[in-house]
Amino acid sequence: MMRQAQKNGTAPLYEIRDLVCAYGDEPVLHIDRLDISSDGPTAFVGHNGSGKSTLLKALAFLLKPAAGTIRFLGEPTEEREGELRREVTLLLQEPYLLRRSVFENVAYGLRARGATDRLVERVAEALQMVGLPPDFGKREWFRLSGGESRRVALASRLALRTKVLLLDEPTANVDEENALLMARVIGEAREKWGTVSLIASHDIQWLDGVCGRRILMRRGKIESISA
Amino acid sequence: MSYLSEGFIQGLGLIFTMNEEVWTAVITTLKLSFLSMAVTLALGIPGGFILGYFSFPGRRILRIMVDTLLSIPTVVVGLFVYAFISNRGPLGGYSLLFSIPGMAIGQTILALPIVVALTASAVESVDDRLRLTLLTLGARGKRLALSTLWESRHQILLAAVTAYGRVTAEVGVSMMIGGNIKWHTRTITTAITLETGKGEFSTGIALGVLLLGLSFVLNWSLAALRRRTAS
Repeated sequence: MMRQAQKNGTAPLYEIRDLVCAYGDEPVLHIDRLDISSDGPTAFVGHNGSGKSTLLKALAFLLKPAAGTIRFLGEPTEEREGELRREVTLLLQEPYLLRRSVFENVAYGLRARGATDRLVERVAEALQMVGLPPDFGKREWFRLSGGESRRVALASRLALRTKVLLLDEPTANVDEENALLMARVIGEAREKWGTVSLIASHDIQWLDGVCGRRILMRRGKIESISA
Repeated sequence: MSYLSEGFIQGLGLIFTMNEEVWTAVITTLKLSFLSMAVTLALGIPGGFILGYFSFPGRRILRIMVDTLLSIPTVVVGLFVYAFISNRGPLGGYSLLFSIPGMAIGQTILALPIVVALTASAVESVDDRLRLTLLTLGARGKRLALSTLWESRHQILLAAVTAYGRVTAEVGVSMMIGGNIKWHTRTITTAITLETGKGEFSTGIALGVLLLGLSFVLNWSLAALRRRTAS
Protein backbone atom coordinates (compact mmCIF):
# COMPACT_ATOMS: atom_id res chain seq x y z
CA MET A 1 0.00 0.00 0.00
CA MET A 2 2.83 2.33 0.99
CA ARG A 3 4.81 1.46 -2.10
CA GLN A 4 1.72 2.14 -4.17
CA ALA A 5 1.33 5.52 -2.51
CA GLN A 6 4.97 6.27 -3.25
CA LYS A 7 4.58 5.21 -6.85
CA ASN A 8 1.57 7.44 -7.26
CA GLY A 9 3.49 10.26 -5.67
CA THR A 10 0.84 10.69 -2.98
CA ALA A 11 2.98 9.82 0.05
CA PRO A 12 4.50 12.82 1.78
CA LEU A 13 8.27 13.11 1.64
CA TYR A 14 8.46 12.75 5.41
CA GLU A 15 5.80 11.74 7.94
CA ILE A 16 6.87 12.47 11.50
CA ARG A 17 4.91 11.03 14.44
CA ASP A 18 5.66 11.59 18.15
CA LEU A 19 9.30 12.30 17.38
CA VAL A 20 11.63 12.92 20.31
CA CYS A 21 15.32 13.65 19.77
CA ALA A 22 17.72 14.00 22.67
CA TYR A 23 21.36 14.73 23.33
CA GLY A 24 22.21 12.42 26.20
CA ASP A 25 19.26 12.37 28.55
CA GLU A 26 18.05 15.84 27.59
CA PRO A 27 15.25 15.94 24.99
CA VAL A 28 15.72 18.85 22.61
CA LEU A 29 13.07 18.14 20.01
CA HIS A 30 9.50 16.96 20.36
CA ILE A 31 7.24 16.88 17.32
CA ASP A 32 3.82 15.26 17.66
CA ARG A 33 2.90 15.26 14.01
CA LEU A 34 4.38 16.78 10.90
CA ASP A 35 4.10 15.93 7.21
CA ILE A 36 6.56 17.44 4.77
CA SER A 37 5.51 17.32 1.15
CA SER A 38 7.74 17.08 -1.86
CA ASP A 39 5.91 19.92 -3.63
CA GLY A 40 8.68 22.43 -3.13
CA PRO A 41 11.21 23.87 -0.71
CA THR A 42 10.20 24.09 2.94
CA ALA A 43 11.79 26.38 5.50
CA PHE A 44 12.22 25.85 9.24
CA VAL A 45 12.45 29.16 11.04
CA GLY A 46 12.94 29.98 14.69
CA HIS A 47 15.38 31.31 17.25
CA ASN A 48 18.66 29.68 18.18
CA GLY A 49 17.98 26.55 20.19
CA SER A 50 14.53 26.07 18.68
CA GLY A 51 15.55 22.62 17.35
CA LYS A 52 15.93 23.40 13.64
CA SER A 53 19.40 21.89 13.27
CA THR A 54 18.44 18.85 15.34
CA LEU A 55 15.41 18.28 13.15
CA LEU A 56 17.53 18.53 10.00
CA LYS A 57 19.96 15.94 11.42
CA ALA A 58 17.04 13.62 12.17
CA LEU A 59 15.68 14.16 8.65
CA ALA A 60 19.16 13.42 7.26
CA PHE A 61 19.13 10.15 9.25
CA LEU A 62 22.22 11.28 11.12
CA LEU A 63 20.52 11.38 14.51
CA LYS A 64 18.62 8.41 15.84
CA PRO A 65 15.32 9.47 17.42
CA ALA A 66 14.94 8.72 21.12
CA ALA A 67 11.25 7.97 20.43
CA GLY A 68 8.69 8.24 17.66
CA THR A 69 8.88 7.50 13.96
CA ILE A 70 9.93 9.11 10.71
CA ARG A 71 8.58 7.68 7.49
CA PHE A 72 10.29 8.57 4.23
CA LEU A 73 8.20 8.43 1.03
CA GLY A 74 5.70 6.29 2.87
CA GLU A 75 8.24 3.75 4.09
CA PRO A 76 9.46 3.17 7.66
CA THR A 77 13.05 4.26 8.21
CA GLU A 78 14.17 2.27 11.27
CA GLU A 79 17.34 0.26 10.62
CA ARG A 80 17.52 1.63 7.06
CA GLU A 81 19.48 4.78 7.88
CA GLY A 82 22.58 3.83 5.85
CA GLU A 83 20.53 3.11 2.75
CA LEU A 84 18.36 6.23 3.17
CA ARG A 85 21.38 8.51 3.54
CA ARG A 86 21.89 7.89 -0.16
CA GLU A 87 18.59 9.67 -0.88
CA VAL A 88 19.15 12.60 1.47
CA THR A 89 22.11 14.84 2.13
CA LEU A 90 22.77 17.63 4.60
CA LEU A 91 24.91 20.75 4.25
CA LEU A 92 25.98 21.70 7.77
CA GLN A 93 25.87 25.28 9.01
CA GLU A 94 29.66 25.29 9.10
CA PRO A 95 30.53 22.88 6.30
CA TYR A 96 33.53 20.61 6.78
CA LEU A 97 35.79 19.99 3.82
CA LEU A 98 37.78 16.79 3.65
CA ARG A 99 41.53 17.31 3.65
CA ARG A 100 41.75 16.62 -0.04
CA SER A 101 41.56 18.52 -3.31
CA VAL A 102 38.32 20.18 -4.38
CA PHE A 103 37.80 17.45 -6.99
CA GLU A 104 38.22 14.70 -4.39
CA ASN A 105 35.82 16.47 -2.04
CA VAL A 106 33.12 16.65 -4.69
CA ALA A 107 33.83 13.12 -5.97
CA TYR A 108 33.84 11.54 -2.50
CA GLY A 109 30.11 10.94 -2.20
CA LEU A 110 29.87 9.63 -5.76
CA ARG A 111 32.64 7.13 -5.05
CA ALA A 112 30.94 6.15 -1.78
CA ARG A 113 27.83 5.36 -3.81
CA GLY A 114 29.77 3.52 -6.48
CA ALA A 115 28.59 6.12 -9.01
CA THR A 116 31.92 6.44 -10.78
CA ASP A 117 30.57 6.53 -14.34
CA ARG A 118 31.13 9.98 -15.81
CA LEU A 119 32.70 11.02 -12.51
CA VAL A 120 34.72 13.87 -13.97
CA GLU A 121 31.71 15.26 -15.80
CA ARG A 122 29.46 15.08 -12.75
CA VAL A 123 32.04 16.82 -10.60
CA ALA A 124 32.50 19.51 -13.26
CA GLU A 125 28.73 19.97 -13.53
CA ALA A 126 28.35 20.38 -9.76
CA LEU A 127 31.23 22.87 -9.64
CA GLN A 128 29.73 24.79 -12.53
CA MET A 129 26.36 24.98 -10.73
CA VAL A 130 28.02 26.76 -7.82
CA GLY A 131 29.90 29.09 -10.15
CA LEU A 132 33.30 27.40 -10.05
CA PRO A 133 35.23 26.41 -13.19
CA PRO A 134 36.16 22.71 -13.70
CA ASP A 135 39.88 23.38 -13.21
CA PHE A 136 39.06 24.64 -9.72
CA GLY A 137 39.00 20.94 -8.83
CA LYS A 138 42.78 20.95 -8.62
CA ARG A 139 42.74 23.49 -5.81
CA GLU A 140 43.80 22.18 -2.41
CA TRP A 141 41.33 22.36 0.45
CA PHE A 142 43.47 24.69 2.54
CA ARG A 143 43.79 27.22 -0.27
CA LEU A 144 40.08 28.12 -0.29
CA SER A 145 38.37 31.16 1.15
CA GLY A 146 35.33 30.75 3.41
CA GLY A 147 32.93 31.44 0.55
CA GLU A 148 34.73 29.03 -1.78
CA SER A 149 34.73 26.31 0.88
CA ARG A 150 30.98 26.70 1.26
CA ARG A 151 30.49 26.48 -2.52
CA VAL A 152 32.64 23.34 -2.72
CA ALA A 153 30.71 21.75 0.15
CA LEU A 154 27.44 22.57 -1.64
CA ALA A 155 28.82 21.19 -4.94
CA SER A 156 29.73 17.93 -3.18
CA ARG A 157 26.06 17.56 -2.18
CA LEU A 158 24.68 18.62 -5.56
CA ALA A 159 26.85 16.06 -7.37
CA LEU A 160 24.90 13.33 -5.55
CA ARG A 161 21.56 14.35 -7.11
CA THR A 162 19.68 13.26 -4.00
CA LYS A 163 15.91 13.43 -3.54
CA VAL A 164 16.33 15.75 -0.58
CA LEU A 165 18.84 18.51 0.08
CA LEU A 166 18.88 19.72 3.68
CA LEU A 167 20.51 23.09 4.22
CA ASP A 168 21.33 24.34 7.70
CA GLU A 169 21.62 28.13 7.78
CA PRO A 170 22.92 28.27 4.21
CA THR A 171 23.24 32.06 4.19
CA ALA A 172 24.94 32.43 7.58
CA ASN A 173 28.22 34.36 7.18
CA VAL A 174 27.96 34.55 3.39
CA ASP A 175 27.91 37.63 1.20
CA GLU A 176 24.98 38.65 -0.97
CA GLU A 177 26.43 37.04 -4.07
CA ASN A 178 26.70 33.67 -2.36
CA ALA A 179 23.21 34.01 -0.89
CA LEU A 180 21.79 34.65 -4.37
CA LEU A 181 23.79 31.74 -5.75
CA MET A 182 22.37 29.47 -3.06
CA ALA A 183 18.79 30.48 -4.01
CA ARG A 184 19.51 29.89 -7.70
CA VAL A 185 21.06 26.47 -7.05
CA ILE A 186 18.04 25.33 -5.00
CA GLY A 187 15.80 26.10 -7.99
CA GLU A 188 18.19 24.52 -10.49
CA ALA A 189 18.50 21.26 -8.48
CA ARG A 190 14.70 21.12 -8.32
CA GLU A 191 14.37 21.60 -12.08
CA LYS A 192 17.14 19.17 -13.06
CA TRP A 193 16.66 16.29 -10.63
CA GLY A 194 13.49 17.07 -8.69
CA THR A 195 15.55 17.65 -5.54
CA VAL A 196 13.47 19.00 -2.66
CA SER A 197 15.28 21.46 -0.41
CA LEU A 198 14.48 21.74 3.28
CA ILE A 199 16.10 24.79 4.80
CA ALA A 200 16.72 25.92 8.36
CA SER A 201 17.38 29.64 8.35
CA HIS A 202 17.10 32.91 10.22
CA ASP A 203 17.23 34.88 7.00
CA ILE A 204 13.54 35.67 6.47
CA GLN A 205 14.17 38.08 3.62
CA TRP A 206 16.20 35.49 1.71
CA LEU A 207 13.64 32.78 2.43
CA ASP A 208 10.92 34.99 0.89
CA GLY A 209 12.55 34.44 -2.49
CA VAL A 210 13.10 30.72 -2.02
CA CYS A 211 10.41 28.97 0.03
CA GLY A 212 6.65 29.13 0.09
CA ARG A 213 6.08 26.90 3.09
CA ARG A 214 7.38 27.93 6.51
CA ILE A 215 7.43 25.94 9.71
CA LEU A 216 7.98 28.04 12.79
CA MET A 217 9.75 26.26 15.63
CA ARG A 218 10.15 27.21 19.26
CA ARG A 219 11.84 25.32 22.07
CA GLY A 220 11.98 22.10 20.14
CA LYS A 221 8.35 22.13 19.05
CA ILE A 222 6.37 23.17 16.00
CA GLU A 223 4.67 26.47 16.75
CA SER A 224 2.93 27.10 13.45
CA ILE A 225 2.93 26.17 9.79
CA SER A 226 2.25 28.68 7.06
CA ALA A 227 1.95 28.14 3.34
CA MET B 1 86.65 25.18 26.68
CA SER B 2 89.08 24.65 23.80
CA TYR B 3 88.66 20.87 24.03
CA LEU B 4 85.03 21.33 23.05
CA SER B 5 85.81 23.33 19.92
CA GLU B 6 88.68 20.98 19.08
CA GLY B 7 86.36 18.02 19.60
CA PHE B 8 83.81 19.62 17.31
CA ILE B 9 86.34 20.23 14.52
CA GLN B 10 87.78 16.73 14.86
CA GLY B 11 84.25 15.34 14.89
CA LEU B 12 83.42 17.05 11.60
CA GLY B 13 86.68 15.65 10.23
CA LEU B 14 85.60 12.10 11.16
CA ILE B 15 82.32 12.62 9.36
CA PHE B 16 83.79 14.00 6.16
CA THR B 17 86.65 11.51 6.01
CA MET B 18 84.02 8.76 6.22
CA ASN B 19 85.49 7.23 9.37
CA GLU B 20 84.42 3.58 9.22
CA GLU B 21 83.68 3.20 12.92
CA VAL B 22 81.43 6.27 12.95
CA TRP B 23 79.54 5.32 9.80
CA THR B 24 79.05 1.71 10.90
CA ALA B 25 77.25 3.00 14.02
CA VAL B 26 75.11 5.23 11.79
CA ILE B 27 74.20 2.35 9.47
CA THR B 28 73.38 0.08 12.44
CA THR B 29 71.16 2.84 13.87
CA LEU B 30 69.34 3.21 10.55
CA LYS B 31 68.83 -0.55 10.14
CA LEU B 32 67.61 -0.90 13.71
CA SER B 33 65.28 2.08 13.64
CA PHE B 34 63.85 1.04 10.26
CA LEU B 35 63.05 -2.44 11.58
CA SER B 36 61.58 -1.28 14.88
CA MET B 37 59.54 1.51 13.27
CA ALA B 38 58.18 -0.79 10.55
CA VAL B 39 56.82 -3.19 13.18
CA THR B 40 55.67 -0.33 15.42
CA LEU B 41 53.68 1.38 12.67
CA ALA B 42 52.25 -1.89 11.34
CA LEU B 43 50.88 -2.73 14.79
CA GLY B 44 50.45 0.72 16.29
CA ILE B 45 48.35 2.50 13.66
CA PRO B 46 45.62 -0.18 13.46
CA GLY B 47 45.80 -0.67 17.24
CA GLY B 48 45.50 3.05 17.95
CA PHE B 49 42.70 3.41 15.45
CA ILE B 50 40.70 0.58 17.04
CA LEU B 51 41.29 2.10 20.49
CA GLY B 52 40.22 5.57 19.40
CA TYR B 53 37.40 4.75 17.00
CA PHE B 54 35.44 1.85 18.46
CA SER B 55 33.69 1.46 21.79
CA PHE B 56 34.21 -1.91 23.45
CA PRO B 57 34.30 -3.29 26.98
CA GLY B 58 37.62 -2.60 28.67
CA ARG B 59 38.52 0.23 26.33
CA ARG B 60 39.08 2.74 29.12
CA ILE B 61 41.35 0.46 31.14
CA LEU B 62 43.29 -0.42 27.98
CA ARG B 63 43.75 3.27 27.28
CA ILE B 64 45.09 3.86 30.80
CA MET B 65 47.51 0.97 30.35
CA VAL B 66 48.78 2.34 27.04
CA ASP B 67 49.18 5.83 28.53
CA THR B 68 51.09 4.34 31.47
CA LEU B 69 53.47 2.58 29.10
CA LEU B 70 54.30 5.92 27.46
CA SER B 71 56.74 6.67 30.26
CA ILE B 72 58.21 3.21 30.74
CA PRO B 73 61.96 3.48 31.38
CA THR B 74 64.14 2.06 28.62
CA VAL B 75 66.24 0.02 31.04
CA VAL B 76 63.11 -1.70 32.36
CA VAL B 77 62.17 -2.69 28.81
CA GLY B 78 65.76 -3.78 28.29
CA LEU B 79 65.64 -5.89 31.42
CA PHE B 80 62.41 -7.69 30.50
CA VAL B 81 63.39 -8.28 26.89
CA TYR B 82 66.79 -9.51 28.06
CA ALA B 83 65.06 -11.96 30.41
CA PHE B 84 62.91 -13.27 27.56
CA ILE B 85 65.56 -13.62 24.87
CA SER B 86 68.60 -14.65 26.91
CA ASN B 87 69.53 -18.33 26.75
CA ARG B 88 67.54 -19.11 29.88
CA GLY B 89 64.45 -17.19 28.68
CA PRO B 90 61.43 -18.56 26.76
CA LEU B 91 62.73 -17.11 23.48
CA GLY B 92 66.34 -18.11 24.16
CA GLY B 93 66.44 -20.55 21.26
CA TYR B 94 66.07 -17.81 18.64
CA SER B 95 69.53 -16.26 19.20
CA LEU B 96 68.07 -12.78 19.51
CA LEU B 97 70.37 -11.52 22.24
CA PHE B 98 73.09 -9.17 20.95
CA SER B 99 71.40 -8.96 17.58
CA ILE B 100 69.62 -6.18 15.71
CA PRO B 101 66.24 -8.04 15.65
CA GLY B 102 66.52 -8.49 19.43
CA MET B 103 67.19 -4.77 19.89
CA ALA B 104 64.27 -4.03 17.56
CA ILE B 105 61.93 -6.00 19.82
CA GLY B 106 62.89 -3.77 22.75
CA GLN B 107 62.58 -0.57 20.72
CA THR B 108 59.19 -1.67 19.38
CA ILE B 109 57.97 -2.12 22.95
CA LEU B 110 59.17 1.43 23.68
CA ALA B 111 57.67 3.02 20.58
CA LEU B 112 54.41 1.09 20.30
CA PRO B 113 52.58 2.87 23.17
CA ILE B 114 53.50 6.24 21.61
CA VAL B 115 52.01 5.37 18.23
CA VAL B 116 48.96 3.65 19.75
CA ALA B 117 48.21 6.47 22.22
CA LEU B 118 48.78 9.33 19.77
CA THR B 119 46.85 7.61 16.96
CA ALA B 120 43.95 6.95 19.34
CA SER B 121 44.02 10.61 20.46
CA ALA B 122 44.14 11.77 16.84
CA VAL B 123 41.09 9.67 15.92
CA GLU B 124 39.21 10.66 19.09
CA SER B 125 39.81 14.35 18.51
CA VAL B 126 38.66 14.58 14.89
CA ASP B 127 36.18 17.35 14.26
CA ASP B 128 32.61 16.23 15.05
CA ARG B 129 31.57 17.55 11.66
CA LEU B 130 33.82 15.02 9.90
CA ARG B 131 31.67 12.04 10.88
CA LEU B 132 28.45 13.85 9.94
CA THR B 133 29.96 14.91 6.62
CA LEU B 134 31.20 11.43 5.74
CA LEU B 135 27.85 9.89 6.68
CA THR B 136 25.79 12.42 4.77
CA LEU B 137 27.98 11.92 1.71
CA GLY B 138 27.08 8.24 1.86
CA ALA B 139 30.11 6.64 3.55
CA ARG B 140 29.54 3.69 5.82
CA GLY B 141 31.35 0.68 7.26
CA LYS B 142 34.92 0.26 6.09
CA ARG B 143 34.94 3.43 3.98
CA LEU B 144 33.76 5.50 6.94
CA ALA B 145 36.50 4.08 9.17
CA LEU B 146 39.28 4.40 6.60
CA SER B 147 38.25 7.94 5.66
CA THR B 148 38.36 8.94 9.33
CA LEU B 149 41.87 7.45 9.57
CA TRP B 150 42.97 9.25 6.41
CA GLU B 151 41.66 12.57 7.70
CA SER B 152 43.80 12.06 10.83
CA ARG B 153 46.94 11.34 8.81
CA HIS B 154 48.87 14.45 9.81
CA GLN B 155 48.55 13.70 13.53
CA ILE B 156 49.47 10.07 12.86
CA LEU B 157 52.56 11.26 11.02
CA LEU B 158 53.41 13.29 14.10
CA ALA B 159 52.97 10.16 16.23
CA ALA B 160 55.41 8.32 13.96
CA VAL B 161 58.00 11.12 14.23
CA THR B 162 57.65 11.20 18.02
CA ALA B 163 58.11 7.43 18.20
CA TYR B 164 61.12 7.65 15.88
CA GLY B 165 62.64 10.25 18.18
CA ARG B 166 62.21 7.91 21.15
CA VAL B 167 63.74 5.00 19.23
CA THR B 168 66.82 6.81 17.95
CA ALA B 169 67.52 8.59 21.23
CA GLU B 170 67.27 5.62 23.60
CA VAL B 171 70.35 4.00 25.08
CA GLY B 172 69.05 1.48 27.64
CA VAL B 173 67.58 -1.13 25.29
CA SER B 174 70.39 -0.88 22.75
CA MET B 175 73.02 -1.22 25.45
CA MET B 176 71.37 -4.09 27.35
CA ILE B 177 70.08 -6.12 24.41
CA GLY B 178 72.67 -5.20 21.82
CA GLY B 179 75.68 -5.20 24.12
CA ASN B 180 77.33 -2.31 22.20
CA ILE B 181 79.39 -4.71 20.07
CA LYS B 182 81.69 -2.86 17.68
CA TRP B 183 80.88 -3.32 13.96
CA HIS B 184 77.77 -5.29 14.91
CA THR B 185 75.28 -3.79 17.39
CA ARG B 186 76.91 -0.47 18.24
CA THR B 187 74.46 2.36 17.55
CA ILE B 188 75.03 6.10 17.56
CA THR B 189 73.77 6.52 21.13
CA THR B 190 75.66 3.58 22.62
CA ALA B 191 78.80 4.71 20.79
CA ILE B 192 78.42 8.25 22.17
CA THR B 193 78.09 6.80 25.69
CA LEU B 194 81.17 4.66 25.25
CA GLU B 195 83.34 7.30 23.56
CA THR B 196 82.44 9.97 26.13
CA GLY B 197 83.33 7.52 28.91
CA LYS B 198 86.71 7.00 27.26
CA GLY B 199 87.22 10.77 26.96
CA GLU B 200 87.03 10.59 23.14
CA PHE B 201 84.92 13.72 22.72
CA SER B 202 85.60 14.12 19.01
CA THR B 203 84.01 10.76 18.11
CA GLY B 204 81.12 11.51 20.48
CA ILE B 205 80.58 14.91 18.91
CA ALA B 206 80.77 13.49 15.38
CA LEU B 207 78.11 10.94 16.25
CA GLY B 208 75.99 13.56 18.02
CA VAL B 209 76.10 15.80 14.94
CA LEU B 210 75.10 12.87 12.73
CA LEU B 211 72.22 11.97 15.06
CA LEU B 212 70.95 15.54 14.92
CA GLY B 213 71.41 15.54 11.14
CA LEU B 214 69.41 12.33 10.89
CA SER B 215 66.57 13.86 12.89
CA PHE B 216 66.66 16.99 10.76
CA VAL B 217 66.53 15.04 7.47
CA LEU B 218 63.64 12.93 8.75
CA ASN B 219 61.62 15.90 9.97
CA TRP B 220 62.31 17.87 6.81
CA SER B 221 61.23 14.92 4.64
CA LEU B 222 58.05 14.49 6.64
CA ALA B 223 57.28 18.20 6.42
CA ALA B 224 57.67 17.99 2.63
CA LEU B 225 55.47 14.87 2.53
CA ARG B 226 52.90 16.60 4.68
CA ARG B 227 52.79 19.53 2.27
CA ARG B 228 52.24 17.13 -0.64
CA THR B 229 49.57 15.04 1.06
CA ALA B 230 47.76 18.10 2.34
CA SER B 231 45.95 18.39 -0.99
